[in-house]
Amino acid sequence: MVIVKRRELTLAERLYLPEIGRALALSLRAMFRKRVTRQYPEEPLPTNEVTRGQPRLVVKDDGNIACVSCGMCEVACPAYAITIDGGETDRAIEREPKRFDIDMLRCILCGFCEEACPKDAIYMSDELELADFSRQALVYDIEKLKRPRSALQKRIDYVNKLNDRWRKPSSTR
Amino acid sequence: MTKIQLNGREVEADPKKPLIAACHEHGANVPHYCYHPGLKAVGSCRICQVEVKQGEMPPRIVAACRTPVAEGMQVNTEAAKAHDARRECLEFLLKNHPLDCPICDKAGECDLQDYSYQEGQGEGRSVEPRRKLDKRKSLGDVILLDEERCILCSRCVRFMEEVPKTPQLTVAGLGSRSTIATFMDRPLSGNYQGNLADVCPVGALTLKKFRFQARVWNLRKSLSTCGECSRGCSITAEVLRGKEVKRFRPRYNDKVNKWWMCDSGRFALERHAEQAPGLGPRIAGALSRGQGAQVHEPIAAPSGVALAADMLAAHERRVVLASPWLSQEEGAALARIAQALGTTAGFVSPAPDGLADRLLHTGDPCPNRRGLTDLGFVALSVEECAARLAGCEVALVVGERAGELLREPLAALDASRRVALFEARALDAPAVKVQIGVPTHVEKSGTWINVDGHVGRLTIARAAPAGTPALTSSLRQLEEMLAAAAAGVVGDTGARR
Amino acid sequence: MPELPLWLVWVIKAAVIYGALLSVAGLMSLAERKVSAWMQYRIGPNRVGPFGLLQPLADGVKFMFKEELVPAGANPFLFRIAPALAALPAMLAVAVIPFAGEIELFGQRTTLSVTDLPISSLYVLAVGGLGIYGIILGGWSSNSKYSLLGSLRASAQMVSYELSLILSILAVVALSGSLDLRVIADAQQADAALWNIARAPLAFLLFVVCMFAETNRHPFDFAESEPELVGGFHTEYSAMRFALFFLGEYCAMTVMSCLATVLFLAGGAIPFWPDAPWWAELASFLVKMSAFLFLYLWVRWTLPRFRFDQLMRLGWKVLLPLALFNLFATAALMAAGVL
Ligand code: SF4
Ligand code: SF4
Ligand code: SF4
Ligand code: FES
Repeated sequence: MVIVKRRELTLAERLYLPEIGRALALSLRAMFRKRVTRQYPEEPLPTNEVTRGQPRLVVKDDGNIACVSCGMCEVACPAYAITIDGGETDRAIEREPKRFDIDMLRCILCGFCEEACPKDAIYMSDELELADFSRQALVYDIEKLKRPRSALQKRIDYVNKLNDRWRKPSSTR
Repeated sequence: MTKIQLNGREVEADPKKPLIAACHEHGANVPHYCYHPGLKAVGSCRICQVEVKQGEMPPRIVAACRTPVAEGMQVNTEAAKAHDARRECLEFLLKNHPLDCPICDKAGECDLQDYSYQEGQGEGRSVEPRRKLDKRKSLGDVILLDEERCILCSRCVRFMEEVPKTPQLTVAGLGSRSTIATFMDRPLSGNYQGNLADVCPVGALTLKKFRFQARVWNLRKSLSTCGECSRGCSITAEVLRGKEVKRFRPRYNDKVNKWWMCDSGRFALERHAEQAPGLGPRIAGALSRGQGAQVHEPIAAPSGVALAADMLAAHERRVVLASPWLSQEEGAALARIAQALGTTAGFVSPAPDGLADRLLHTGDPCPNRRGLTDLGFVALSVEECAARLAGCEVALVVGERAGELLREPLAALDASRRVALFEARALDAPAVKVQIGVPTHVEKSGTWINVDGHVGRLTIARAAPAGTPALTSSLRQLEEMLAAAAAGVVGDTGARR
Repeated sequence: MPELPLWLVWVIKAAVIYGALLSVAGLMSLAERKVSAWMQYRIGPNRVGPFGLLQPLADGVKFMFKEELVPAGANPFLFRIAPALAALPAMLAVAVIPFAGEIELFGQRTTLSVTDLPISSLYVLAVGGLGIYGIILGGWSSNSKYSLLGSLRASAQMVSYELSLILSILAVVALSGSLDLRVIADAQQADAALWNIARAPLAFLLFVVCMFAETNRHPFDFAESEPELVGGFHTEYSAMRFALFFLGEYCAMTVMSCLATVLFLAGGAIPFWPDAPWWAELASFLVKMSAFLFLYLWVRWTLPRFRFDQLMRLGWKVLLPLALFNLFATAALMAAGVL
């Protein structure tokens, strides 16, 4: 138990009026201080490669997405935001997603999918804005998720750098 | 029984089985590729090496699948040397193995993956390029071979020789270019090819029908029994996202099917799809056709049952016919109803389908023939059923596929007859006045009794369409209503609609 | 300028003054948000129109199109009429405020106020006191405990503070010897030393404190009191009726500010410019009034709300004795010839 001893108030404090005057002076001064408001849509928050925005699928230089629908991101996703149906393709990679949906309303931007992907196919972009008129419209399909590699390059480099840092030196080499 | 020491514990081992079987039986997880409990052991992969000490001799590393058990042998599956041997063996297996897991259908249930986690080292040391072989080689209608993934354990070769006894596969080529092949590249044949994908410990042999259909960890697996013949193989039904049945796979059952199942059962998936070719749409709840009306209107299942009860109570010359897919529980309830209606129930027994073989398939498509016969049902051919229907005023036809089997006789009845049909799929026939939806055998729990009297269990692998009650509860409701009608409480059922 | 009959001039005057009052009330809703924003390092509404000036208009449109709810069990007639009752008195009271001296309008000489009454200060108090009915009825007819408690508090508060308010005005009335607001204002004309704020500072202080209580404003806004009463008397109100309550509040604030200007700051008088033209007088009046309006906002965004018992204690044990003392002291000083 803590016994808090109250300070005796001075006469001026008890009279209340001088204290009110002080308070008024304080708020008057505040009116002329620098504003902290950010005028959001015109003045967006700066993003950088550390920003974890919404996940996006990398489109390789040959125009195909790198994803092979292995489902690693689907199991890694703690929010069950990802749904994938795979299918056959004639490309050497054999398998590609026929359906790759991320429910952006479920996504918590954790980046687990990026970390799980063995094909470097999914990365966190710096896109943060999300608004539409229906829930269904916010379930993004492949077309909405595609981003050219160049748009994600900074993040890709950053993630690679991180991975290099954590990679264990080979025990047997 | 032979006494051996396994990891310091005294255990009893079956002298007729190799050492690895004793290890597995007593909880020591010894890796194995070429060894399969249902096939002859050849000892070609060497992944099953364990340390064995016998008498005064120094401990040796042996392949557990080719070592017979001997009294007093001391087995150490966790010895450092054994682990080393297995790791080195794995390194060689992985030397040429493609990094295919992301696109490989076996991933998630692949022995190569599992043992690599268990024993292997994190990275390869070889700098030479991996071998390049055919990655999409068709071995007939059922199986696709990826030669690069194959570890040449020869399980598939031995399976074909030993189980269906139709040797068709062999190891062709030399050294690192060895591949599994058929003679002159002929496609595989027979009703047991699907098992090849199960015996293959890696993703080299995969099912064409399952190719890229689902990642295996997304499949919810439920115990079930195959419904395609009276053998009633034990299987697992694997369902994706609570909807589609993606796979049937054999489940080990010593008394019935061991590790195997036939392809006609394995691929009987189509009828579980929402839209199945040649079959009507699934009934959710019930459908009723009023007097003279042309179309069926959807109603709630209990109202459908009430309609059926009204019809059965109000007319004489009743016929009760059952589907051979009825479970014991449902059959018992239906038998009681038939008795209350003053008739004996029969079940539709279609003609043998000609798929019978000496291994598993019986050729008789009635999975619960034995059980229903025990319950007093009479087996009736489709023609006999038609004759019964032709002579009736009101008929009760119950069970999954009953309407399908009796499609023609039912369609031939004129509109003055009244048929109450409990079916999974809708049927358009003038005499059918009310159809009540029932769950299919992957959507219900119950038991079947197979041709040899063994009990096969069904569990709910996925939910029936919304509003469809279990057939047992529909039948119980029907029974109660009929009893009430018999006791003179007429018109009661109408109020319940 | 064409000559118009006197009655028409009066109608025009009334229309202009009420128009002005309503726009000031509208602008106050914006000013409130702007000032609060500035005091909190924010910017405030700035999306509708330049500097957000059209925000009140946008709000008005929004309020019109909102759904109007009448809670189950409410007395629908009183519930509907209460907001109007709350807004009306303040608007009526503005009729006698003398904004400026005589002007020449459409060929008629007239004063810049809707009307001039010889007992205008009494009129203001009488009409202004009616505003509480709207709040009480609104709270009671909502059939909600929060609303009811809010309006009960409002009435108790009104009774307590109106007394001190009247007593403080009485001192001013005594000083100028008239109940007519225009006379009171004119009596202070001569120079700043004769303004009542200088002659009766205690009365001014009392008046300002009571003015907050009278208009239900911070730190005395117990009728609303969001944390414990969820908005108090207007908890159940929505759409335009909700807006009417606020319109009434801002009108009342404006009227009170006008009253303070007239009673203590000599209305539109400008020191050292005795013959200022009417427009200069009007401008000076508006500046003084705005100062009081700003005070309202300034205090609101600075001081925390009192506790209800503190409010009552302050009213009965501090303000009332002070006001009585002030009245007698003023009388005594006047008798002694000091004032
Ligand atoms: S960022 Fe996280 S929550 Fe979002 S899709 Fe990826 S894994 Fe799921
Ligand atoms: S983890 Fe990568 S490759 Fe696998 S499904 Fe997700 S995005 Fe595609
Ligand atoms: S066979 Fe196994 S290890 Fe090889 S690619 Fe397939 S899952 Fe991976
Ligand atoms: S399992 Fe023993 S050698 Fe292959």
